[in-house]
This record gives sequence, structure tokens and C-alpha cells, in this order.
Amino acid sequence: MPDLKPTNAKQVWKLQFEGAWPTSVAFLGPRRVVAGNRDGEMFVWDLPDQSSVKPAEDKAASKTKSAAKGKQDEGENIAPVRRLDGHTNGISRLVSTEDGKLLVSASQDHTVRIWESAAPPSGKADVVLDRASREKETKQLPQDKRQAFIDAPGVSVATQDAAAVLKGHDDWVNALGISRNGQRLISGDARSKVVVWDLPARKEVANWVGHAWNGIVAAGLAPDGQTALVSEFTYKRDDFDIPAPALKVWNVADATEKLDILKVHIPKLDAKASTYGAASVWRSFIKGGLIATDYSPDGTLVAVGQGGETDTGKVHLFDVKTGKLVRTVSGHQYGVCDVKFSVDGKYVLSSGRDTVLRICQVSDGKEVAALGKARGGQFKDWLSGIAISPDQSMIAAADIAGYVHVWQLQG
Amino acid sequence: MTTTPRPEAQRPAIGHLSRRALLKGTVATASGGALMNWGSLFNSASAAEGVQKQQKRCILLWMNGGVSQFETFDMKPGRPTGGQFRPVSTNLPGIQVCELLPKISQNMDKLAVIRSMRTSQVDHPGGIHLMHTGYSTAANIRFPEIGAVVSKYLGRERSDLPNFIKIFSHGNSGAGFLGPKYLPFSLSPEGRLPTFSTSNRNSELESRRNGLRNFVEDVFAREHKAETARMHREAYEAARRLQNVHQVFNIDDEWEKNRDLYGDSAFGRRCLLARRLIEEGVPFVEVGQSSYDSHADNFVWHRSLLPPMEHAWVGLMTDLEQRGLLKNTLIVWMGEIGRTPRINNRSGRDHYVRSWSTALAGCGVKGGLVYGASDKDGIDVKDNAVTEGDFFATIYQALGIDPKTEHFTGVRPIPIAPFGSEVVKDILA
Repeated sequence: MPDLKPTNAKQVWKLQFEGAWPTSVAFLGPRRVVAGNRDGEMFVWDLPDQSSVKPAEDKAASKTKSAAKGKQDEGENIAPVRRLDGHTNGISRLVSTEDGKLLVSASQDHTVRIWESAAPPSGKADVVLDRASREKETKQLPQDKRQAFIDAPGVSVATQDAAAVLKGHDDWVNALGISRNGQRLISGDARSKVVVWDLPARKEVANWVGHAWNGIVAAGLAPDGQTALVSEFTYKRDDFDIPAPALKVWNVADATEKLDILKVHIPKLDAKASTYGAASVWRSFIKGGLIATDYSPDGTLVAVGQGGETDTGKVHLFDVKTGKLVRTVSGHQYGVCDVKFSVDGKYVLSSGRDTVLRICQVSDGKEVAALGKARGGQFKDWLSGIAISPDQSMIAAADIAGYVHVWQLQG
Repeated sequence: MTTTPRPEAQRPAIGHLSRRALLKGTVATASGGALMNWGSLFNSASAAEGVQKQQKRCILLWMNGGVSQFETFDMKPGRPTGGQFRPVSTNLPGIQVCELLPKISQNMDKLAVIRSMRTSQVDHPGGIHLMHTGYSTAANIRFPEIGAVVSKYLGRERSDLPNFIKIFSHGNSGAGFLGPKYLPFSLSPEGRLPTFSTSNRNSELESRRNGLRNFVEDVFAREHKAETARMHREAYEAARRLQNVHQVFNIDDEWEKNRDLYGDSAFGRRCLLARRLIEEGVPFVEVGQSSYDSHADNFVWHRSLLPPMEHAWVGLMTDLEQRGLLKNTLIVWMGEIGRTPRINNRSGRDHYVRSWSTALAGCGVKGGLVYGASDKDGIDVKDNAVTEGDFFATIYQALGIDPKTEHFTGVRPIPIAPFGSEVVKDILA
């Protein structure tokens, strides 16, 4: 596998996905990207070689000038090839197997769904992914042509149904993780229930429930799938009723707690104390919840990101065996949205509420690249999810403004 | 059950000053009420005697910061303004509420929900004043909070317990022109008494100190005909009487038995204390829950805030009903503002008052009613707009207090619900 070269990053694609904001993104193999949004819509794009790309207007990917023009430095737009049907509420997380054969989605519709990359289509659909841009651009058109412009056909895509629907949750499924060996899956919901699944068998193998006052906001599995990291958090129930968070390592086989990482750092943390004073004990370390996590490829480290709307959201790197903080890296204005290790484990990538994707060296915490540009008013648009291609040649980020950005890292 | 629109043309103009009211103000001034005129007792003393006999009570559940109508009682599923939650059916055919309110959904037969609030103050200080008094702030008049008005008309003159209690206080309009006698007595967010209410001296020493203070005050009062001396003495007397009823505020024993009913939360404890105070005869208790100002992360905030709130609310209604108190206790559920249809780039909703929701229960309110409606995206009221004045008039009417009852500040008559307000009669049985 070639080295990841963050300083060579160049945005090559800016995929239009307007409507409800995109929440998560994943690679299925080196050239296929999948993204989901807050309405539960999911689309698949096959990225061609850059050299073979024609402008989007020739490919009928979009009817709008802004999309067709596709500023060169922001990448070009192409049409999706497939729509994945089934979810009825927002997509919270997407993960995939390293071989690119399976995609898994977690949703606020209380389900986890498994999708096969090679599955045949179930039908066809006409989709419009640039309606907001069309509505904006109609202002330049004569009144009598505006509605026709907005209602013009979009692009034709194949549709696909899920290969399996995993039902083990009774609330929003907020957290999703996959072991690197592709054997285990972990999901966590807003009622603090965690389920570990045998992915090939598509069956539940373990479950447990965290503190009743919390929800599961992030979960990850060790590369071998034997241990899990689970982050619990809830926003305050009012200013004087603020439950304590939790960040624990669990043995999957018997659903027992192995290590309470927050207790290592905040011995005074009391899950049953819920006063404003108790919250001040953990607030600076947790901020708005540790809402994203990832295991390093060798399984020795975990990265967790400080989410919520906070001043600066950072990423903590912990030693999984001892729970000790190795270092704190990065820094996103207003909070972190997602965290991932590079495939070779040398870098930790994070996206945040500052419309920026940051890449830091694990060895010394130095930030080596910041992709994207802060956009919005006082508060910026979020890059809500990130993904790295298995060959480390591409990085993708879901942008709440209605895009999926793809950067090429080499050559 | 839904309601039919009320033609705007049938509504009187707001701000009308009646000739009768003006004459009353003049008389009151001529009788000397303008000097230390705490709202004038010209026509309110006899009115108070009448309504006190009804023993009606009120609990205000105050959602500070402005709870979202879209995430509670006025969902817009499938619309761009709809948000991330899904509706659930209720025990009223055809009526849905947010999935975050599963217990409320099965108790909708007890509630009258208003989906057509249209109020006038969009910021927090203005909104908190407005939805505590029925009036916008004015430079020359200090309007009383609803709790002070209820205290005046439904309170007991010589009660050991205060007549107007706030648990986790929000808003500071207080008694306004009604005077300090009707000021709220505020408890901490945990429902604890303020430190001044407990003496650390033995009862004999405390009694001697009280005697000495009375002596000094009597001398002062003989030499100075000042209203403040009387008020000072009354305040001390009230504090002394509170010593007799400290145990009412200690809910620890009762909490263990009622934890499941009210839900294990700070708001649940406050609601249990409210029931206990109502049972002891306190006519008005406000129970606050903070942090609804969800400019960012609206959905996860409501995900945390609403479950303990609705659990406690249903527990409170159930408890009051089982004790036979709900028929005489009005529960008012509201915040100071609603939230915007548009979801901003912080996943939040901002302030909004063109169309939002409140709810009432108990005390002669028709249960199983959804009053008014917003349009398909919740941007504006479609049917039966209810102003803050209408809302307060309806509350006062339910409590047996004539909303047209007037007080005077100088020559100016001030009805307890603003001029032109209308009782929403469809809501009341």
C-alpha cells in the first residue's frame, strides 16, 4: 500500500447531494463512494479516473450552472449510479468491509442495514439532487420558465434494496463500528443499548445497556472484534440535571466491562451525580460528548473526538490497554464530527463543525494538512462524516451544505 | 376533537380603554389609592373572597428557553421543517404527537393543546415577561406575574406556607404593582428552602429575638406612618410562620415511593414537591425546567430534555387525579417562545412566535382537545390564533378569576388580562 501523502491532497470531486444534509460517507473499494443524509436517502457514486472525466453538464448529472461549472479547485460533479432504498429516517453512520463487498448503515429509523456491493438493482428511479441550486438559479429566469426549470428531470439511477435488516434497537441508532477483519459489527442507540453482531451470519452475539440516563454516541471494535470501545453521553436534562458521560472498553464475548477510561483520568466522576457542580468535573475533558471514535489498525490506540457545539473540539488518543492519554491532537472550531485513522495508522483524520478536515500525525500530534475552507456565517457548515479509501488514495467528506467532497492524496 | 376557525372580525380591538374603567380609576385616585397604590383594592377584595371559596390551584410547568413545537405537539412529518423525530399516535383518534412524548401520547385525553399561539415577544427577557404576566414590558408599569395574581385572588391570608412558590425560578417580574405581599417565594433547583428561612438558634432565643424586634418595630411604626414598616413586619411574620411547615418541603421519604411515577430526574422531584405544596393549599406553584434554547443541536437537546419532562408531567397529572386534586388544579405547560420552522446550520432552531404551542390540563379544561392549527410547514397560524392575552384570559377564567378584573396604577385601569383579550371558550368545559 502506498504511503498517505496528505500534503499532496487535491480535491477532485464535489458530488452534489442536496436536500436534507449529508451525514455520513464510506468507500466501497477504492473508487466507489456511498453517502447518506438526514432523510435516510443513500446514493452511490462510481468515481472514474480523473483523466476520463467530462464536465458534468455533458453527463447530465445536474441541470444547474453552478454544479455544471464545477470550479476546478473544488472538483467536479458526477451523477450517482445507484440509490439505496429502505431507511425511513436519518443515516447516522456508514461503515464498510475492507474488501468493499459490504456496506452497513445505521439509522434513526431504529435499524441497521447491510448492503451488498455486487447486488443486482431492484429497479430504476429518476432523482434530483440539485433542487436547492435550481431554486436559487430560477431567479435569473423569466417567471414563466421557472417552475419548468425546477421540475426538469434529474438523472436516472438504479435502485437497490438492503440484503439484511438488523433489528435490535428501539431508538435512534447513533453509533456504528466494524472490526477490521470484517467479522463483527457494533451498534449503539439513544437508549444506551449496545449490540454486537456477527456480520457474516447477520446475527446478534452480545448486547448490554449503559447508564439509563445516557445514550450511546460512539462505538468501535478492535481489529479482531474481541473488545469494543463505547462512548455514552447525553445532553443535559436541564442546567441542574446533567448526567455523567462514560467511555469504556468492553469484552465482547461476555459483555463485561474491561476498562473505564474516564475513571483513569477523572477519578471523581460519579455517574449518579447529576448536578451542575458534578458536570464541571468532566466538562473540559468531554466537552459536548465524545461522539466519534476509531481503533488504530494495530488495535493499540483509540481516537475519540469532542463533539457538540464547543469552543474547540479536539481528538484524544488513548492507549487501549491502560486507558492513559497518549496525546490530544487537532482542534476544530465548534466541535468534532467524525474521526478516522489512516489505513496505515500513521495519521488521524478528523472533520468538524468548521467545514475543515484535519490530518494529524499520530507520532507527534502535528497537524500536516487542513482540507476544506470554513464556510457559513458566525457558525460554520459541518463536515459531518469522513471516509478513507482502502488504498489510501482518496479521502471523502460529507458536507451538510449538500455535497460529498473527494480529495486525491497521491500523484 | 378539533375546532372550527374563529373569524378575526369578531375579535375586539386590543388596547381599548373603556369609559367605565376610566371612571373607576378616577374614583380610586380620589379615595387616595394613588399614593401607595399596590394596584388598588377598589374592586378586587370582594372578588378575591368569592373565588377563594372555590379552592382552585395552578401549577405552571415552565419550559425555559422555548421548547420546540415541532418536537412536541405540532409535528410536520415529511416537510422540510419537520426535523428528525417521527410522530406517534395518541389515545385521541387522528391526533399525533412527537415520539419523544410516549407517555403524554397516552394521556392526551387530559390535555387541551393549543397549536396556534401567536405572541409578540421573540426574545427571552421579553418573552419571559410576556408569558408570566400577559403583558409586554412597559416603562411606567410593573405588571404582576400570573402567580402573584393567583396568590392575591386564591391565596390564604394567614397561611404558614407562601401563596406563590417558584421551584427553579425563571422570570423576575414578581408581584409588580400588586405589591410585595404577593411576591414569589423561590426555592432552589433542588427544591431546597433558602438559607434565610431556617434559624440556627434554639426556639427560646428565637422567640426572644422576635419579641425584641416587634417592640422596636412597634415604636418605629408609631412614629413613622410608613407602609414599608408594615411590609417589613409582614415579611418577617411570613418567614417565622414558614418555620412551622419546614417538613412540607422535605420530599425525601415520599420520593422513594414516587420515583417511578415521576421519573428519576430533578424535574420529577420538583413536580412531586409541587403536588405536595398544592395539596397543602398553596394556590400557585411554578416548576421550571431550563435549557430549551436550542439554537444548536436542537434534536439531541430535545432528546435529552423531553423524556424526563414528560414522565414527570404525566406523573403529576396521575398523582393529582388519584388524589382528587386535578379537577381543581390547572396545569399550564409553556415556555416563553416557540422555535423556528427552519433548521439552521447548527442543527438548531431559533426563536419563533408566529406559530407555536402550549397546553393546559385539569381545572375545568376540556381534555382531548387540539385547538387551532398551523399551516403545512408550521410557518404561520392557519386557524384560531391565540394571543398571549387570550391565553392568560383563558387561564384566569379556568381558575375562576374574572380576566376583566381591574387594578389601578394611578388613574390607569389595568385588567389582569390585557384589554381586548378573549377567553378561548372552546377549551373550557
